[in-house]
Amino acid sequence: MKQRFKVALAQISCKRGDKEANIRKIEEYAEEAHRHNADLVIFPELSLTGYMMGDELYRLAELIPGPSTAVIEEIAKKHKSFIIFGMPELSEKTQATLYNTAVLVGPRGFVGKYRKMHLPTHSVFEERRYFRPGYQVGAFDTELGKIGLIICYDLFFPEASRLTRLEGAKLIVCISASPAVRRNFFETLTAARAIENTAFLAYVNLVGIENGLQFWGGSRLIGPDGGILAIAKYDEEDLVIGEIDYADIAPVEAFVPTLKDLQPELFDKLKEKAETL
Amino acid sequence: MKLTQQVLDLNWDEVKKRITRFIKDYVEKSKAKGIVLGLSGGVDSSTAAALSAMALGGDRVLGLMLPEKETYNPTDIKHAKLVAEKFGIKTALIDITSTLEALQKSIPIFDPEDKLCKGNLKARTRMLYLYYYANKLNLIVCGSSDKSEVMIGYFTKWGDAAADISPLMDLYKTQVRMLAKHIGVPEEIVNKPPSPTLWPGQTAEEEIGLKYDVLDLILYGLEHFMEVEEIAEQLGLQKDLVENVKKRWEAMEHKRRIPLTIKLQYRTVGFDFKLPLT
Repeated sequence: MKQRFKVALAQISCKRGDKEANIRKIEEYAEEAHRHNADLVIFPELSLTGYMMGDELYRLAELIPGPSTAVIEEIAKKHKSFIIFGMPELSEKTQATLYNTAVLVGPRGFVGKYRKMHLPTHSVFEERRYFRPGYQVGAFDTELGKIGLIICYDLFFPEASRLTRLEGAKLIVCISASPAVRRNFFETLTAARAIENTAFLAYVNLVGIENGLQFWGGSRLIGPDGGILAIAKYDEEDLVIGEIDYADIAPVEAFVPTLKDLQPELFDKLKEKAETL
Repeated sequence: MKLTQQVLDLNWDEVKKRITRFIKDYVEKSKAKGIVLGLSGGVDSSTAAALSAMALGGDRVLGLMLPEKETYNPTDIKHAKLVAEKFGIKTALIDITSTLEALQKSIPIFDPEDKLCKGNLKARTRMLYLYYYANKLNLIVCGSSDKSEVMIGYFTKWGDAAADISPLMDLYKTQVRMLAKHIGVPEEIVNKPPSPTLWPGQTAEEEIGLKYDVLDLILYGLEHFMEVEEIAEQLGLQKDLVENVKKRWEAMEHKRRIPLTIKLQYRTVGFDFKLPLT
């Protein structure tokens, strides 16, 4: 397993509803990341299709693994790198039950997928209208260590990233489609999730304007002490490279030992209280 | 939440960037050649025009000045020209008096004493000109409606609010003034009393019965789910006054929506057809 490697944050805008065009862009960015020797390239939430797709999601969703993941797997194989991206997933057992899913592929093909647990259905968001929430933690063993996956609004729920950390992820990847009015929340929470888990956190947001929503970009790689190791531009497409060295976790973990000090008995209480909110 | 003028203060440079990016993105995705908008000489249309010019370049923005005899005001024309010159916008001046007279003459039930109906006819006539230009020259109609007007329904249905995009519609009037100042709209335009110019001497604040700086805070409170009593107490206003603004906001929803229909089939326009737009 690699202790040190480079991560590329591929902050793209999408051509809405055009999977071919978006795959071409993913390929271009993956190539550029490869030129910078990145072992992992991360794209935003629903980057295969665009975020504000409404009823078109039924037409665009695919099985995972499926035809689009197969194409992205080939890109990953070609560059011997890992790729994370987002897409609408069609459940294998039904005909119109969808998930908002993050996909991880690598040099040897499909690695795993994570179905978004917390689906925003308030303000301008309509996710629960289309998507069923996921019920499984996404944490996958790779040559780059265990990678945890969360999606956008999951970031507001510390238990989502915490679970990936407790599964052993030292890198938590959050793919996102966050509009500009919410920037402050995300800038705070990305750092918080890294610090409280003493883990690396890679946040990759969409850019571009969809249906009057302007996605703010600002993708970043955050170290276990909350420091920003790499940051992309606001509002514009960008590709930035950050370096992860897992050896950096130990000194932070000794300094702020949040995992050592976890109190499991609180979680029973949390469950009980959440059920009666 | 404290209802003070500070809550309306935004990062104006950020707002300017977001709006100009929005205009540019929309025009490009629509494959249109530029923007056409009505240029009244007021703060809203001046700001919309200036932002359009910043987004696309002034040569891709056409401002139509559409005066008519009854409300003709040389200062408004002067202000419209001032803005056009400052931001490099193309203009056309069309006197719509003869069109209005012909229209009025052709309507069997036309009542010259009913100034509201007559005024609305003016706003809708201006819309016809804007859409002719848009249609003929492949332009996007940019509306100038602000959030205060739209929330209380202080506009003509299918008239001045008819547009393809309304980039100022999430900013209250006092915020449009702040943005206008920030981007360099001349002070004399920013500070003059707003008027829809539907009849002579009409001013918005007199007609609404509230100054915009008070109205905007009431609306801001309503936007943020505050109770009428709380808003009235904080602003030192009579409860009835705030209640009336709330009622007006709710009653005017019909002006802000696509026409309501009765749901009969599988997917229905205005209900559950959820198609992506740009």
